[in-house]
Amino acid sequence: MNWKTGFVITAFVACLVPLVSPNYMMTVIIEALIFGLFAMSLDLLVGYTRLYSFGHVAAYGLGAYTSALLLLHFNLPLPIAIILAVAISMAIATPIAWVCTRTHGVSFAMLTLAFAQLGYAILYGFKDFTGGSNGLAGIPRPEGPFGLDFFQSKIGYFYMVLFCLLGSYLLCRALVNSPFGAVLAGIRENEPKTAALGYNTRAYKRIVAIAAYGFGALAGALYAPFAGFASPELFFWLISGTVLIMVIVGGSGTLIGPIIGGVFFLMLENQLSEVTSLWPLIFGSIFIAFVMFAPQGIWGLLTARFTKPPVQPGSDRDGEAARAHS
Amino acid sequence: MDFVGFLLTQSLNAFSQAAILFFIACGLTLIFGIMRIINFAHGSLFMLGAYVGFSTAAATGSFWLALIVAPIVVGAVGMAFEKLFLSRLYIRGDGGAYLMVTFGLAVIMGETIRLIWGPHPHGISTPDMLRGVVILLDQPFPKYRLFLIVFGLLAALGTWQFLERTRAGLLIRAVSQNAEMVQALGTDVQMVRTCVFGFGCAMAALGGVLAAPMVTAFLGMSASVIIDAFVIVIIGGMGSFLGSIIGSLLVAFAQVFGAYYFPNMALAIMYLLMLVILVVRPGGLLGKEE
Amino acid sequence: MPILECTGLTRRFGALVAVDAVDMAVEPGEIRAVIGPNGAGKSTLFNVITGVLAPSAGRARFMDETITGLPVEQVAQKGIARTFQLTHLFPELSARDNARIAAQARLPGRMKLIGGASVIAQSVERAEQALDRLHLSRFADVPANMLSHGDQRLLEIAMAVAQAPRLLMLDEPTQGLSIEETDRAVEILREMLADGDLTVILVEHDMEVVFKLAHRITVLHQGRVIADDVPEKVKANDEVQRAYLGGFE
Repeated sequence: MNWKTGFVITAFVACLVPLVSPNYMMTVIIEALIFGLFAMSLDLLVGYTRLYSFGHVAAYGLGAYTSALLLLHFNLPLPIAIILAVAISMAIATPIAWVCTRTHGVSFAMLTLAFAQLGYAILYGFKDFTGGSNGLAGIPRPEGPFGLDFFQSKIGYFYMVLFCLLGSYLLCRALVNSPFGAVLAGIRENEPKTAALGYNTRAYKRIVAIAAYGFGALAGALYAPFAGFASPELFFWLISGTVLIMVIVGGSGTLIGPIIGGVFFLMLENQLSEVTSLWPLIFGSIFIAFVMFAPQGIWGLLTARFTKPPVQPGSDRDGEAARAHS
Repeated sequence: MDFVGFLLTQSLNAFSQAAILFFIACGLTLIFGIMRIINFAHGSLFMLGAYVGFSTAAATGSFWLALIVAPIVVGAVGMAFEKLFLSRLYIRGDGGAYLMVTFGLAVIMGETIRLIWGPHPHGISTPDMLRGVVILLDQPFPKYRLFLIVFGLLAALGTWQFLERTRAGLLIRAVSQNAEMVQALGTDVQMVRTCVFGFGCAMAALGGVLAAPMVTAFLGMSASVIIDAFVIVIIGGMGSFLGSIIGSLLVAFAQVFGAYYFPNMALAIMYLLMLVILVVRPGGLLGKEE
Repeated sequence: MPILECTGLTRRFGALVAVDAVDMAVEPGEIRAVIGPNGAGKSTLFNVITGVLAPSAGRARFMDETITGLPVEQVAQKGIARTFQLTHLFPELSARDNARIAAQARLPGRMKLIGGASVIAQSVERAEQALDRLHLSRFADVPANMLSHGDQRLLEIAMAVAQAPRLLMLDEPTQGLSIEETDRAVEILREMLADGDLTVILVEHDMEVVFKLAHRITVLHQGRVIADDVPEKVKANDEVQRAYLGGFE
């Protein structure tokens, strides 16, 4: 089955979800989809370019607070506010990306963490603007352009989030399969070689970082009007950790893996954290186990069984391959 | 208050701050020297030390007992972690895996601490002996901070002498420079690594207990402290013990005087410092290469 | 007019002079071998020309443009493709993908995020042509890290060729290859270079390879050029023989 068929089937099934789910589940499902989107955005950095960001929560928090502030202070239709929030977040992300991509490895991780912490601190520093530790409450969900108001209901909001998730997936997929995406693969596999081939690798890294921030901000921008409030919790460093775990466990470099990882994590956490207080120990240990023994993640493991072997059986290529392996 | 008095008070504040920073940074840099990895969990180990210290002090009423128990407990946790996980990654030579695994530990610890001790901060009360102030040049100065300075100085001297004068210290320095050679000469390098890792974690925990009476044990500690520690190690040079001392002093002074002159920008100053260092001189002032 | 001209190219590392006032002029279509005992400065010379290192003095001009001081990626964009002493590939990607990323680097639209289908098609075409020239077509779908060492060295050359360079700089292409692999590589190279459309500078230790391929030889010893001539004359050169302690077979 090729991916297009799979995509259409998944989209169709997803559209049916509200018909079979009770209302209280819908809240969790919507948050799960938002988290899945957030996880996918990080995959662009971690899975495709091997830039380990420990501060990706900043994208989420930026998106959430920006959309919150826009909705609280201006009378904008909801979709417009979300789009604007993403645009503003990407603008803010540009100098951050510029600075962070000057380094790599541990330094990159630290710098991204530092920026997230800076964001966290700014929230407390500009209390009047951001509401400080109380955050911003009472975020409205205004109706859209042309009087569209279906997303003011939970089910309507579900379809809006689903649309954003599916649309973002298609965009990300196009991005990684584009010429730009091919260079990301080169940077991931061997950055000095990629530069020696004639690519300005820093520019590519900057652009993918801004894109990752953009999609992450979209997730945050979708969250704030849904929850109705935004708090500094949305910038807390542990969220950077959980989303990174989702990418690795779900399957880095696959886009789909992190989405699934994000969705299931949120749903599992919702069900299990009531039941057992060992939940963080469980998911943390699962993470370490995957890093050490199955770095391709769940989706990577599943799809490996369906990948074509590099050499077709039944031709002399077998012999060639045997010699190649010697 | 006159300028000299002001200078003295703030400088003493900075020195006491440097003492705490030293405990974390020293561990981080020693671990880097031995294992060529940045232990991302270091901040969480500092935090664990603070929380374990809190529980010990709460249970026994003794701050001093906490000072002994916390490093032992956290050191043991660290050694177990190194033996179970990090040692297996060594042959892989994959920098990304180390980062992830130590980060995973940081997250596990963060969440576990939240579950065991709850989301609210916990304080340790200063021991009676160290309460109150001392008058220096007409300025009041907290006894506890003086204690920190003295304790930090002793610890720095002790560690320095340990590294320079003892056989174990020599072994550690040798492994930092050329692990293969030391292994070939018959020493169990893996054991050295486990011990140094444990020692580094114990130092971090000690820092946590010492910090707790001043800042309380709270969940956000680990993220800010790992950044501080990283900046220090970068400034002083990754793997350089002396550098960790110098770095701690520089950062502490920057933080204390920065907080005084630009109170709202205190955090921003830290990050600016890190930015400048990372971008301009990634090798640090005294260090080996990354 | 020489396609590459080095004048007084020097590179020091502290007190060590790795490359010492090297003058070298390579004509278009020429196959130039750079030889010399270990430590003679051959790889350093490559690194200075391609922008990995900045020169301490002197300069290199490519097609009448000064290239010393430019960063690596810009030098590559001028039309110089280079392979390395230690194999540098994209290990988990297929041979074809390795080559197409290389080919794409010299195409406009290499940064396209959308609408890049034609760019991809073009790079794939060039990649497959390059793989064909190096007799690697049957491995097009094989991940690079699964190829034999010899084929990996050839793949690196294929990547360089896929960039349609004016100047190909090969750093010890036969390093680590068995005798059969070396012979095969030389045959493939000879066939590839027969058109005369590529200029090649190669660093080599294997004298047989040098004499089979090179039009001219530049000999380096302790960073300096001690001979720069056609192969027969270099073979007979006393100083060269002394530098190698015992001359050639």
